[in-house]
Amino acid sequence: MKTRIFLIGGFQKTKFLAKSLLKKGYHVTAINKDTEKCLAMAEIENLTVFNGDGTKPFVLEDADAYNADIAIALTEYDADNLVICELCKKKFHIKKTVALISDPKKTEFFYRMGIDSVVCAITAVANIIEQQTFLDEMATLVPIGEGRVSIAQIPIAATAPAVGKKLWEINLPKEVIVGCVLRGEQSIVPQGDTRILTGDVLVLISANKQQMAAIKELTGR
Amino acid sequence: MGLFDMEKKEGYTIIVGCGRLGANLASAMSDEGADVLIIDTDEGAFRKLSPSYGGITVVGDATDIQILRDADIAKATAVVSVTNNDNINILVAQIAKEMFHIPHVIARLYDPERECVYHELGIDTICPAVLSAKEIDKILHLQQVQEGAL
Repeated sequence: MKTRIFLIGGFQKTKFLAKSLLKKGYHVTAINKDTEKCLAMAEIENLTVFNGDGTKPFVLEDADAYNADIAIALTEYDADNLVICELCKKKFHIKKTVALISDPKKTEFFYRMGIDSVVCAITAVANIIEQQTFLDEMATLVPIGEGRVSIAQIPIAATAPAVGKKLWEINLPKEVIVGCVLRGEQSIVPQGDTRILTGDVLVLISANKQQMAAIKELTGR
Repeated sequence: MGLFDMEKKEGYTIIVGCGRLGANLASAMSDEGADVLIIDTDEGAFRKLSPSYGGITVVGDATDIQILRDADIAKATAVVSVTNNDNINILVAQIAKEMFHIPHVIARLYDPERECVYHELGIDTICPAVLSAKEIDKILHLQQVQEGAL
């Protein structure tokens, strides 16, 4: 049976997410209390749309929440998202609940209330902006585990101090490893004696915000 | 100093939402000499308080943990959440219970359907619709009994 995903509230985000999840083969149900938005979302092929307030138990029940596997609360209010996730968890026993929140200070509290995944749009966007600002077009960073660990892709320019050095000759912070070297069509899992060349793209895995120090060491910036 | 601190600890109630219920409750408690603090996002809401209200008023969003900390929530013995939004009441009540371990937490819920989920968390809920229904039933019942007796 297909995994059934509930998207509750939200509009632009919900539409985008619904399309992406449908493409991956999930069964997606969108619940929204705004009739106009429901009509607009109903134009998406294969999407089940429900018009109703998702913070009300009977609406979730009508939408067959007992058979849902994942619930994602995307309304603009933190309080609504909390209630949605708690109802889904406690009343409908949905295995995984995800809540979007706008106040970063509540993240810990939401986790404590038993919500499986808490996404704070403000922190996420701010982090990305910060990274982009400081890294320019030099690298892409993917934060994982709430930003504790990040995977970065770092192109090595001819001027970089790491060029021509063997990996063990570079003084990288302890909590950083080079997971992979992309060289043209090749991808090399490096050893200590792998030499870094101009045009290489390094895939860096770093913990505890060590990536900046590592990037500086590799690229000189 | 010590004397005042002692008194404060004895019973300090935070009321969230200065609607008719919140304002009435705050005024009544303040008249009885209790320490009361009332929070509302709208400063104009405080006009509903009685002129003799002697507690503190705070303008702010009670779902913001910092506002609650500023209101000295850790010292509160009771938190009563009576805004006109059920979900906000639930959020505030849970923050009070889980993060600050307030002994008495009461939330007003318009919709009785959500109640079951929150009882197990140790949050007392008050549902006006259920209370009114009971009261009306009681009045009608009483009338029937009286009519029957005649």
